Amino acid sequence: MNLYPKAQLYYFLRLSFRKNIMSKFCDKVLCKIKEEKIEPKPKWHFLLKDYFVWLAFAVSLIVGALAFCVALSIILDNDWDIYRYLSLSPAKHILLSLPYIWIFAILLFLGLALYNYKHTKSGYRSGTFVVLGLSVVGSVVLGSVFHSLGMGRKIDRIFSQNIPLYQNVHCCCNRKDIWTQPEKGLLGGRILNIRKEDEFDIEDFGGIIWQIEKNNETLIRGPVLIIENEEVKLIGEKRTEKRFRAREIRPWAGK
Amino acid sequence: MLDKNNCSEKTDEELVALALKDQDFFACLVEKYEPKLMRYVRRISAATQEDAEDLLQEIFVKVYRNLNDFDPDLKFSSWIYRIAHNQVISHWRKTKVRPQVLKFEADEDFLKFIATDENLARDTERKFSGEEVRKMLENLDKKYKEVLVLKFLEGKDYKEISDILEKPLGTVATLINRAKKQFAKIVEEKNIKF
Repeated sequence: MNLYPKAQLYYFLRLSFRKNIMSKFCDKVLCKIKEEKIEPKPKWHFLLKDYFVWLAFAVSLIVGALAFCVALSIILDNDWDIYRYLSLSPAKHILLSLPYIWIFAILLFLGLALYNYKHTKSGYRSGTFVVLGLSVVGSVVLGSVFHSLGMGRKIDRIFSQNIPLYQNVHCCCNRKDIWTQPEKGLLGGRILNIRKEDEFDIEDFGGIIWQIEKNNETLIRGPVLIIENEEVKLIGEKRTEKRFRAREIRPWAGK
Repeated sequence: MLDKNNCSEKTDEELVALALKDQDFFACLVEKYEPKLMRYVRRISAATQEDAEDLLQEIFVKVYRNLNDFDPDLKFSSWIYRIAHNQVISHWRKTKVRPQVLKFEADEDFLKFIATDENLARDTERKFSGEEVRKMLENLDKKYKEVLVLKFLEGKDYKEISDILEKPLGTVATLINRAKKQFAKIVEEKNIKF
């Protein structure tokens, strides 16, 4: 070591200089903290923030699942077989019947779920596609549970009753318009009164009252009840200006 | 009363706990990380010594304010580097209206490290001098330079880089591989002559 006294001295001076600069910097930082009376933010502040992000993630997932269950109900309840009466190809009928607003809602809330998860403390550790995949699975499972509880139809009905333009925007075709085409064999509405065993009156969605004929060959599908105030869909033929013969009767919700 | 001689015997986690009770203990953390962070800040920013000091002061104040947010699942060094990284980025965003570009400061150690990297040499079928590497690095994307600094210069492993940059491990590995590939491509495409 004694062979390089100059080098040792240089090293010592450099170290002292560095230590001096460092402690000056350290004092500066502590001085600023003391002068400005800076305090560490309380632990609850960070916990609250973290819980809020997790809550936002859970809400996004649940709302996404609700959107999924409504879309599922609409798809399952849709009359996929009536394209013949509408003079449409099956593909065009499918494209016109998809619940686009709910599909958009599913995508939106999946995106929000991903965004919120990524902003949790350890969210960055999981890859985007893993989080997205798990969110999709979560929404599908939870949405199927909601659907089995009948929530999809309830939400669809609440929206139909309370939002005037809902029927026009939730897919390309207004369902009520589709079922107000007696000349094409499609008629829907509310049963006003039962005249006889094979005759009853309905009020269509345009407010017109129709006399409906049915017979033993009329197919009654699904859990439809021919009682007053029940909403139904009819497939058949227009006989006269206000008479309609039903070949098939379906419940308004479902098939 | 703070006995600074005790600082070196304590772990970062213990110092954090002590600093929360007595702010004088924060000095231990400042002294320990000041040189490392100063070097890191200068490596990833275009800051002058003075600007870097101001930036570093802001970083330590931020660290102190957020001490209760430190997650013991992470290494303290990863957490403090993360704050430093984010502060540099935020400083850059604030000042980018001025004609200032985030410039990469490659020092000799780094150049030597890259130049002698075996995988890179294999990819490009040759080794490079420090000056050659410096010129090629200027053409690298910012995101690639960042990971190269953390990997080769700061000596951080993948998990630490993942915690600092808040990216998944897989993404970090991909970034490092792409950085090397982009580096090799630059060599190949430009056929750089020095």
